Amino acid sequence: MTSTLEIRDLHAGIEGKEILKGVNLTIRQGEIHALMGPNGSGKSTLAYVIMGHPGYEVYSGDILLDGESILEMEPDERARAGLFLAFQYPVAIPGVTVANFLRQAVSAVRGYTAQREEGAPIGSNLMPMREFRKELTEAMKMLGIDPSFARRYLNEGFSGGEKKRAEILQLALLKPKFAVLDETDSGLDIDAVRAVAEGVNRLVGPDLGVLIITHYQRILNYIEPHYVHVFYDGRVVLSGGPELAQELEAKGYDWIREKFAEKVTA
Amino acid sequence: MSIKEALDLTFSPDAVKALSEMLDEPGWMLDLRLTAWRFFEEIPWPTGKEETWRRTSLRGFKLENYKPFATEVLTEVTQEASLATVYQDHLAELGSAGELVMDGGQALYHHLRDDLAEKGVIFTDLHTAVREYPELVQRTFAQMVPMDANKFAALHYAFWRGGTFLYVPRNVSVDLPLQTIARLSQEGAAGFYHTIIVTEESATVTLMEDYFGGVNGMHNGVVEIFPGPNSQVRYVHVQEFDGTLWNFGTHRIRTQRDAEVVHLMASWGSRVSKVWINLDLAEPGGRGQLLGLYFTTDRQHVDHHTMQNHIAPNCSSDLLYKGALKDHSRSVYQGYIKVWPGAQKTDAYQANRNLILDGSARADSIPGLEIEADDVRCTHGATAGQIPEEYIFYLESRGLDRSQAERLVVSGFFQEVLERVENADVQRKLESTIAERLGVELADLGFGE
Ligand SMILES: Nc1ncnc2c1ncn2[C@@H]1O[C@H](COP(=O)(O)OP(=O)(O)O)[C@@H](O)[C@H]1O
Ligand SMILES: [Mg+2]
Repeated sequence: MTSTLEIRDLHAGIEGKEILKGVNLTIRQGEIHALMGPNGSGKSTLAYVIMGHPGYEVYSGDILLDGESILEMEPDERARAGLFLAFQYPVAIPGVTVANFLRQAVSAVRGYTAQREEGAPIGSNLMPMREFRKELTEAMKMLGIDPSFARRYLNEGFSGGEKKRAEILQLALLKPKFAVLDETDSGLDIDAVRAVAEGVNRLVGPDLGVLIITHYQRILNYIEPHYVHVFYDGRVVLSGGPELAQELEAKGYDWIREKFAEKVTA
Repeated sequence: MSIKEALDLTFSPDAVKALSEMLDEPGWMLDLRLTAWRFFEEIPWPTGKEETWRRTSLRGFKLENYKPFATEVLTEVTQEASLATVYQDHLAELGSAGELVMDGGQALYHHLRDDLAEKGVIFTDLHTAVREYPELVQRTFAQMVPMDANKFAALHYAFWRGGTFLYVPRNVSVDLPLQTIARLSQEGAAGFYHTIIVTEESATVTLMEDYFGGVNGMHNGVVEIFPGPNSQVRYVHVQEFDGTLWNFGTHRIRTQRDAEVVHLMASWGSRVSKVWINLDLAEPGGRGQLLGLYFTTDRQHVDHHTMQNHIAPNCSSDLLYKGALKDHSRSVYQGYIKVWPGAQKTDAYQANRNLILDGSARADSIPGLEIEADDVRCTHGATAGQIPEEYIFYLESRGLDRSQAERLVVSGFFQEVLERVENADVQRKLESTIAERLGVELADLGFGE
């Protein structure tokens, strides 16, 4: 069955300040959506709210996964239900190696952790080392990541490009139904953008729905979206096909501001 | 005196004599024990007003609740395979060049690789050393930690039983770690393990000791380390005692010229633990690292009291103690750096970092400095903080629940200390003790090598 992620008239914000002002968006597995909008329009907020960041409050509306609301779910439950967020600014976790972290994450998402019985030996709740090692090695190879990466501390001292690649590596191993990629291209040079985009392209397919958040059209030269949405002041104001991205690239965001700013005040 | 009679003994000179007789000790050792007993009687019990006892209370500790020594007589085996699986499992975690296994102070098994024995390395239990190498033992035993160092040291010397004796001759480098298992299996018994490490000039050795067991018991140990000129000693003390045990320890190291020492204390177990660790940089060129790890839960209380004592010039000492605290547990870190007049070109660092995982846990750090030389680099710092919420959200967004996320962050927090050990075998073994204590498995054991 094809899964659906539906965002329905979502109003959300932080400390009483409304940032999302009625977002509507539906993504099916297998579809690639691009969400484009100027800085400060609330794109990252939307990404965080989808993933369940405790700092944001949902005032009204809903987020449904296959028709079921996920708003009451903790972030880890959402991850296990098949959601993934590639962070715009991934945090560095000192002393925790990529391999170590990923084995725990993969085990949690694939249900090994839940299988552990009371009193069972430690480690019996993790994906077997051999299997994990094989998968990790393959994923790193596919994404052109050096094997030594596995032993480095997660995001510590990583370049911008390495951080984003580490996010895509996680996406590859966690195999979610829906992935939100928040500015996965920002701050990267063109080679790094291409590398990251190639990685994403290898992962897209009928089992993955993608929401690419960006304010440049650049990454869309490498990843062809099925749908493009323009995000402005906390809402999707315009939706269309790939040609909309080109239009934005050519005309910039000013015409969006002019066109939709009035509507907001009206 | 029969074993049956010994069973009824309380801490007393009679018990001291019975123990010494049972161990068939030479007269000098019995005399030493009785002298120590007199010190024990002379030194008053801490009142709680002494600086070192202000934050760790002995309320609830009653010496008369414990049997002075384990009375069950155990026999030594010649094959590792004949040991109970609990020992074999512990030994299997570390590839080592020698192993010593003890329970209740009695040796169950010991082994040292032939080539090392031929080179003159001695690695045996301390009672055997008293019999076979009396002059070496007399030269070292109670020479570093004096009998009257504190009330507990005095008690220790009266009742010490079991422990490691390690001697490495000149220019001998022991390639793999040596390991000791010191268990207390008899419920309610007091343990008094004593460790001695002696390296002669330009020798190198690593010793890892694993202490566990001790249900409703107490342990009161002493560790004496004598790094000879230009030698290197790495000592790792893993304390995994039962959560009902009261633990006391007095450790002291005195480096000779250009000697290098790493001392790591991993305090995972016990109900209350109070350990003094004293590093004397007594001759020029000495370098010492004091490392510590602790993870406390429930109502655990762990107290480390350290001293970096710079007596000679051109020495360095670097201390890093890191702990994570859960529930209602508490840690005390008290650290003192002293630089004596004339100890120029001293580098002395000290850091105590704490992660507070629950609002009801508490970490106290009390640093102290006394510097009487002018050409000195010296820093100290203490922190206590929480795990940033952004770490938790990131890890949760990858499917880890909060407790898993916390534990993973804590394991990473400890990594900085592990790195300083600079020995992959020891790091791996330590990682597995961390994993066990935290209830997580670390995936990268040997990954990518
Ligand atoms: N944690 C926060 N606290 C206060 N304001 C915030 C916070 N996060 C976002 N905002 C505000 O919400 C708006 C949208 O931010 P963001 O979602 O990061 O936009 P974008 O990702 O589109 O650049 C901005 O005005 C920003 O200042
Ligand atoms: Mg953003």
